[in-house]
Amino acid sequence: MNAAVTVVFALLGVLAVGSALLVVTTRQVVHAALWLVVALGAVAGCYLLLRAEFVAWVQVLVYVGAVVVLLLFALMLTKAPIGVSEDLDAGLAQRVVAAMVALATGALLVTVLVDGFSGEVIDQGATGGAPAIGASVFRSWVLPFEVLSVLLLAALVGAIVLSRRDVPGAGAADSVAGGR
Amino acid sequence: MGLPGRGLAGGLATTFRTMTRRSITQQYPDVSPDLPPRTRGVIALLEENCTVCMLCARECPDWCIYIDSHKETLPATTEGGRERTRNVLDRFAIDFSLCMYCGICIEACPFDALFWSPEFEYAELDIRELVHERDRLALWMDTVPPPPPLDPGAEEAKEIAAARKAVAAPAPTGDRHGEGAAR
Amino acid sequence: MSVLDLLLRLVLLLACFLVLPLVVGQIEHKAMAHMQSRLGPMYAGGFHGWAQLVADGVKFAQKEDVLPAAADPWVFRLAPALALLPYLVVLALIPVGAGQAVVSADVGIFLVLAVMGIGIIGTVMAGWASANKFSVLGALRAAAQLLSYELPLVLAAASVAMAAGTLSLPGIVEAWRPWWLLWQLPGALIFLVAGLAELSRSPFDMPVAESEIIFGAYTEYAGLRFALFLLAEYAGIVVLGALTTVLFLGGWKWPFLVGGLGWLWTLVKTLAVAFLVIWLRVSLPRLREDQLQRLAWAWLVPLALVQLMITGVVRVMG
Repeated sequence: MNAAVTVVFALLGVLAVGSALLVVTTRQVVHAALWLVVALGAVAGCYLLLRAEFVAWVQVLVYVGAVVVLLLFALMLTKAPIGVSEDLDAGLAQRVVAAMVALATGALLVTVLVDGFSGEVIDQGATGGAPAIGASVFRSWVLPFEVLSVLLLAALVGAIVLSRRDVPGAGAADSVAGGR
Repeated sequence: MGLPGRGLAGGLATTFRTMTRRSITQQYPDVSPDLPPRTRGVIALLEENCTVCMLCARECPDWCIYIDSHKETLPATTEGGRERTRNVLDRFAIDFSLCMYCGICIEACPFDALFWSPEFEYAELDIRELVHERDRLALWMDTVPPPPPLDPGAEEAKEIAAARKAVAAPAPTGDRHGEGAAR
Repeated sequence: MSVLDLLLRLVLLLACFLVLPLVVGQIEHKAMAHMQSRLGPMYAGGFHGWAQLVADGVKFAQKEDVLPAAADPWVFRLAPALALLPYLVVLALIPVGAGQAVVSADVGIFLVLAVMGIGIIGTVMAGWASANKFSVLGALRAAAQLLSYELPLVLAAASVAMAAGTLSLPGIVEAWRPWWLLWQLPGALIFLVAGLAELSRSPFDMPVAESEIIFGAYTEYAGLRFALFLLAEYAGIVVLGALTTVLFLGGWKWPFLVGGLGWLWTLVKTLAVAFLVIWLRVSLPRLREDQLQRLAWAWLVPLALVQLMITGVVRVMG
């Protein structure tokens, strides 16, 4: 990496960490979701600088475009007041525990990454486009990929069963025939 | 029921067909509208015909016609004759902010003193200006179109029919008073 | 690519971004008027009201920028920019002629779809920050609509990418052959319908259904910020038209006059799609919210999967 890229990468990293901190510290619940957008976008920028173009855009498409929108949707559907929510806070004990868990997770990730990839050098010439990702997902890692897809399928089926009310036995409380 | 989406295609076809035709928008300020002869635009007053009988003012559902008058005594025209009194019009005004253009005043007038004019461009910035006094009402007379010809096959006008009858069968005795033969 | 060249391209892009939505808006004014047997704007600019939208822009600029008392000021102010910028980015990626894109990306189609999905956050922010229940309802509807229609949109685009064997937009146009019009027809229709839904354009304009929720998420906006949302809508039409052109209609390809005038064909096709979008708006009534979801999940997603299958089979056999 040349100097400029390094500087930008560091700035994006600071942005990601800073907005992530704001996500957990802000007292306004929708602002938390919006700071999450910034954090995820900054991470996408980091991917981009690491020559993982495809992953970066998937990050934007799935996390920024869909997951956060879903999150905002759910927030608005339930309760999302404008302004500070006083109950959006935790006691000291909870804070300490949360900080410890976060630090432990971070330490674990850093250890694993440093252990596994400390010697790696990113090839500036290569672009982490779709072919490389496709090849590794569908050749080397095809089994985990399939296992994951089966897991997702099961989740989908489960969601459909839970939301349908016209299936006898499902949705124990009310078996009123839904209009759908 | 037909093919699925037939309704959608039909809607699209309708709008497209409409687009290819000339639109019917009137280009009003640029092109003055072509109004039919009986258009009710504004009411004109032919002062000479008015006898201050007040019928129009009384028949007006909105009470938007204001008439003031006084009586004048005319000296006898012949020696030893009677003096005559005559109504003189002092004020004749129509408040067009109240008028609902029903035309009952024009129908009610027995002396043909009120007429419809198709003029409609007399909007004002102040509502009080909409009270047209007699001079303004008289000005509208210039814009009253001649009465349209009768429809082919329609009944003859009453005065013409009466005159024709008088010519065809001369009155056996005395005068017959032709109705409105002056016209 | 020299700096000067890049600068020229960026200026051109900005000009297109500011002019094309106005052109589409004017086409909408006039086409919609004539479809309803009206004339539309006739005075501004002299000839058939060609400058109406410029005059509208001046009017918007003069209006007061109202901030509701209970609104969340920062989110409220930022929302229009977030709604507009993604379309600028997408427009930069559209190849108008052979090798004539402002920026070229290897995974262009992915980038375009990803960025287009961000625009919705602007709408959601606007709806929430306005402190108006109708705005929140509009934002909810917009979000629900986007979540449902993102899937068929991506699947339809994936079908073309599979057919062309590349994710880059110029690559797809290079690989495009006229018979793809038939092969990818369901995909094209799905893409267009889902795109309309993502733009909240009629017949999918429940997020701004004026008879129910005033103007949805944009109810509280006035002046320049409102104009930005409107510009975003029309820029969205331009982007949808350009994307449909590039993915399904062969971009700059045409039986004749291809040489240096490829960009002209891209423009013509884009405007044709934009006209179709306007035509649909005039002709079709608004769907109900449940009809909208049913259309997405019961028709478009399965159809998109079938299209994907057909594409795969033809690719493997051919």
